[in-house]
Amino acid sequence: MKNIVKILISVLLTITTSGIAQEYKFGKVSKEELLETSFQSDSSANAAILYESKNIYMEYTSRGFELVTEVYRRIKLYNKEGFDQASEEIFLYKNNSYKEEVMGLKGITFSIVNDKVVETKLKKDGIFKSEFSDKYDQKKFTMPSLTEGSIIEYKYKITSPFISNIDRIYLQYEIPIKKLEVKVNLPEYYNYKKFVTGYLPIDLKESSYNDKITLTSKTRTGSGFNTTRTHFSSNDIDYKVNKYTINANDVVAFIEEPYSGNTQNYISSIFFELSFINFPNKPIDYRSRTWEDVAKTIYANTKFGEELKKNSYYKEDIDQLINGVNDPTKRVALIYDFVKKKMNWNKKRSVITNKGVKKAYKEGTGNVAEINLMLTSMLDYAKIDAHPVIASTSDRAISLFPTLDGFNYVISRVKLPNGNIYYMDATDKYGVPNILSNRIIRGLGRVISKNGTSQMVDFRPTKPSLNRFGVQCEINDQGIVKGMVNLHHMDYLAHSFRVSHGAKDSESKAKRLEKRYGINELSDYTVKGVNEYGKGIVERFNFVVEDQAEVIDNEIFFSPLLFLRDKENVFKTDDRKYPVDFGYGFSNTYMINIKIPQGYEVAEFPKPQAFKLPENMGKFSFRSNIANGTIQIVVDETINAPVITADYYPVLKQFYNQLIEKENEQVVLKKI
Amino acid sequence: MQKRSLCALVITVVLTFVKVSAQDHTNLQSIFIDSTLTKDANAVVRSEEIVIEINSINSMTIKTKRIVTVLNKYGRGHADSYERYSPSTKIKKLEAIIYNASGKEIKKYKKKDFSDRSVYDGISLMTDDRIKYFEYTPVNYPYTLVFESEVESSTTAFIQSWLPFHSYRLSVKKSSYKILNTSGISLRFKEVNFDDYQIETTNNDQEISYSISNIPGKLPEVLSPQYIEMTPQVKVALTDFSLEDVEGSATDWKTFGKWQYDKLLSGRNQLSQDTKDRIKELVSGAITHREKTKLIYEYVQNKTRYISIQLGVGGWMPFLASDVDRLGYGDCKALTNYTKALLDSQNIPSYYTVVYAKEKRDIDPEFASMQGNHVILNVPNEDEDIWLECTSQTMPFDFIGDFTDDRNVLVIKPEGGEIKKTKKYEPEENVLHTSATIYLRDDTSMISTIKRESKGLEYDWNYGVQFKTQKKQKLHYKEKWDYINGLEVNSIKHTDDKDSITFTEDIEASCRTYIKKAGSRLLVTPNLFSCDQSNLPKYDDRQTSLVLSRGYVNTDEYIINLPKGFTIGNLPEKKSIETIFGNYSYELEKLSDSQIKFRRFLKVLDGTFPKEKYEEYRKFRAQIKKIDKSRIVLQQQ
Repeated sequence: MKNIVKILISVLLTITTSGIAQEYKFGKVSKEELLETSFQSDSSANAAILYESKNIYMEYTSRGFELVTEVYRRIKLYNKEGFDQASEEIFLYKNNSYKEEVMGLKGITFSIVNDKVVETKLKKDGIFKSEFSDKYDQKKFTMPSLTEGSIIEYKYKITSPFISNIDRIYLQYEIPIKKLEVKVNLPEYYNYKKFVTGYLPIDLKESSYNDKITLTSKTRTGSGFNTTRTHFSSNDIDYKVNKYTINANDVVAFIEEPYSGNTQNYISSIFFELSFINFPNKPIDYRSRTWEDVAKTIYANTKFGEELKKNSYYKEDIDQLINGVNDPTKRVALIYDFVKKKMNWNKKRSVITNKGVKKAYKEGTGNVAEINLMLTSMLDYAKIDAHPVIASTSDRAISLFPTLDGFNYVISRVKLPNGNIYYMDATDKYGVPNILSNRIIRGLGRVISKNGTSQMVDFRPTKPSLNRFGVQCEINDQGIVKGMVNLHHMDYLAHSFRVSHGAKDSESKAKRLEKRYGINELSDYTVKGVNEYGKGIVERFNFVVEDQAEVIDNEIFFSPLLFLRDKENVFKTDDRKYPVDFGYGFSNTYMINIKIPQGYEVAEFPKPQAFKLPENMGKFSFRSNIANGTIQIVVDETINAPVITADYYPVLKQFYNQLIEKENEQVVLKKI
Repeated sequence: MQKRSLCALVITVVLTFVKVSAQDHTNLQSIFIDSTLTKDANAVVRSEEIVIEINSINSMTIKTKRIVTVLNKYGRGHADSYERYSPSTKIKKLEAIIYNASGKEIKKYKKKDFSDRSVYDGISLMTDDRIKYFEYTPVNYPYTLVFESEVESSTTAFIQSWLPFHSYRLSVKKSSYKILNTSGISLRFKEVNFDDYQIETTNNDQEISYSISNIPGKLPEVLSPQYIEMTPQVKVALTDFSLEDVEGSATDWKTFGKWQYDKLLSGRNQLSQDTKDRIKELVSGAITHREKTKLIYEYVQNKTRYISIQLGVGGWMPFLASDVDRLGYGDCKALTNYTKALLDSQNIPSYYTVVYAKEKRDIDPEFASMQGNHVILNVPNEDEDIWLECTSQTMPFDFIGDFTDDRNVLVIKPEGGEIKKTKKYEPEENVLHTSATIYLRDDTSMISTIKRESKGLEYDWNYGVQFKTQKKQKLHYKEKWDYINGLEVNSIKHTDDKDSITFTEDIEASCRTYIKKAGSRLLVTPNLFSCDQSNLPKYDDRQTSLVLSRGYVNTDEYIINLPKGFTIGNLPEKKSIETIFGNYSYELEKLSDSQIKFRRFLKVLDGTFPKEKYEEYRKFRAQIKKIDKSRIVLQQQ
């Protein structure tokens, strides 16, 4: 009974929606659409996609199945700011003689001129083709005769021999979409895995229908001088087509926010990745189906598994390196340092090797797979329990389903007999075990082994990294503050310092502080520990600041954190759709001693205070004391959670507001 | 201690060995570079030799051999060697070899090893320029790159200048430049900024050559002249030349402009009768040329958009006006030519004008050659000049802003070229006036209505906010006044008066915690909306002049209503600062027990000042910054 009700409702819904649904036909734009002056559900939109249809299917040709993508878009340009949407560029992949091609490109601009609808067609002079690089061709076009309020329409078709990669299908853009229809029709022989990104619900429907391929073959009979006869025979092959449809209405525009981390995870989209191919009377060709398959597939790849096995090229060097060293921890350290020093990363990311580990080793340069597979292999050779970890970098959509395309990076994991686990990336010159570079920290990894077992790993540290400020200073009756700062950077914050400033000269390092904190005079700058990876960094300098304290009549006013106080809340927008991502947790602590001038007493000073974010995500404490003519302040700002979900955004914003208020509270000194 | 000396010994031995075994490459060792050249440098040009052979009007060969030692990762860009090519420029030879610090060859790239791709300039939809480049992953620093190329070009309208210092933080051991001219065509050249340098020179009919050596790297400084204005340069041009198969000859701007007019512009302004009629109707109600020009300019702004397409001679020759009329888009050349064509059709004279846009740079009045990177339109009107930026859909008529203001430009007339100066916006014209009414409450909150009116260049610097989305507009103001924690922007209204060129922003803002409490005292910063945020660096030994490229006047006047039950004792005295860079004043006036008035005035003059004056200017700004954020204490009544 319940089911019947459900069906009825859905039928009713279908009827009502189809009753008002607008038909979108290429070239048939209504005057009402042209007269529209703003997008109904988002008046701030400069342009909107009124309709987009994407039709992806396989077509049987003489070369076998080919992937076809048909695109049709109708875009409304409300004002000049929206005109950027009138140019489109398409990258077309090529590999040897195989290449993707664009066909049947047509476009029309519709505008209202003197109350009449005027159409201008996209012609050859608005279409451009170029060889972008040896892997990609590029086709671009720009629509003619735009005015504010114009509607542009275009359609084209891309044919591709590369059936295993269906491009990521975006279901959201930086402008809103009124109506979106995506159809993906794939023959049963090809099985695809699907996974989605974003915070919008996706209405994916699956069904199937039957289709057939007619194969025509020609045979000739006859021999010698006899007339030859040609027989035509045709052979029908019936097969099933799996059909996926996604329909969406009024999709909101995607807007980037500060501290977004990886926005690729937040924009709505769907991926189709080839899982296996299963033709009748042929063995199943598995690409990926379960994590076990993914692991096996990658190990079977000659540019991964085979590369891990090779050891002749480094054998001698490693034998020599670890000769006499039996402690596994020391072995790991030796080998990791050896690879870091010897190998130089060419900035290329990949799960598989390119020129191969052997050549990479010889040249001292390589892509990430070459360097870290080499590292893993060497560790394994040294009898260390080491495994490769395939990973997706911080700028990629995270793959939660078994798929290989989701990964573009490899690092190494070591398990020591004492139970310690190290993640290591030898492409990062400043890296140390369990301190990974920014490019990977927001990503996700999977440790895999030959036998197919695998395990998901999160690279983010569990403990916040520390910045510790120590300040000794005195203030005079003119409000000028002189003193000394000791600044310790630990863990990830030390790593971050090395990456951004490590190679710069001392003067540049000092100048950056001068600029950041608005210090009038900064002198005697020293820095220690920059090259002692794994240890903290200590910066030390003397300062004079003239504008931190204010003398009004007989009183001096200042914030006891001086130039170190937070002045500005980075979270300015009122609401937020997706998480705040700090990368890693951090803690700033300040210990400040300020000696007050002779003849003055403390009239007011900020009282101790502490508050927290819910669920131990962060905390703030402020302690203050006066002893022997010195004001002592101890402050702790800690964010434990690297990622804070959108529902906590208002609380986080409030946390920072309160923190800034507290840090800006005033000390008042009064002339005795 | 012992261990260390042993190490030193080993190194010496290795070095000696290297020196012997790699004798040919001793000059490629990095370790012997003079320390004056490595200080303040990320890379050192060990030697650069450029030889340009001019064979005929449409054949020129450029041979480059460059040896660069890269000292650290920031110097990699200087060894990122590549060559551009196009249908008229062919690469004949291309080779790069990398040597390590001791001069041993470690990697060699032949022409086929270079990657090839189309140039993506970030602006153009399409160009036919391509690039061959290589990517090298350094194994160690320092390392040395030897780069050699030979490029043949049929375009001789551009001859690469001699520019021995490419950029900051780059030292030069030796750089030489030679032109061998066997074409029989005479060469013109001009030496710029040679005064402070020792440069060897040879000049005769067939050969020009220059060389310079041992110049340490320079560091960039803020508010300094454009790099190109300070660095030595030799500009060269042929009197007869070819540009993408279009031949020409010129000796000065008059003849150069004439050639451009005849060969690149003339005849490209044809329009259909239909369009002419439409324009005639459009301007039918207008009387003066100025009024008509304004109508036509606004018509173009509505009809067209900027799309850059640079193919072949199309890099210098505008699209046909009739094409722009049909397509509704074009680049700066096309849109300027189109506007000109529309004006032509109404017999309003106007001239296509070549300019350096964005960074303030002159077309050299004394040296005629292919220069500039943008095109605008000059419409002479009685005694004045109207300048039109035809690529903008939003600029008011007769307003070019800081994109092309106050610089020498080439105005191309049918009878020849002419150098003119574009409009200079004087400090008194660039006015931002902020007025506000502020209510302070005893719960520490503040609510204000603010009006900002901007004119002149201040218009240019402010009017863009209206094109942002509402959310971004709010953010814009929160960022502008980011020193007010917890600022809320409650309403925003913009009025863009394009006729008077005035942009008005009406904003209502509030903050729950504006007033800071210290015991029973309330602390208030009366300057809510014009706190100077600049932070100029201090230089121990400033090398370059101080350049204030544009002047302006900012005035503020606020009425501040004090919280109930609070009053103010003595107000601080008026503060004024007078300098050669301009003047500043800050003043508070008690209107009643519950109301005070805040006034601020800042005038900055444009100009170039000797380098010694920089510190004075920095102090001027620091003083302003300090006064701007000063506070007053309110007391309970």
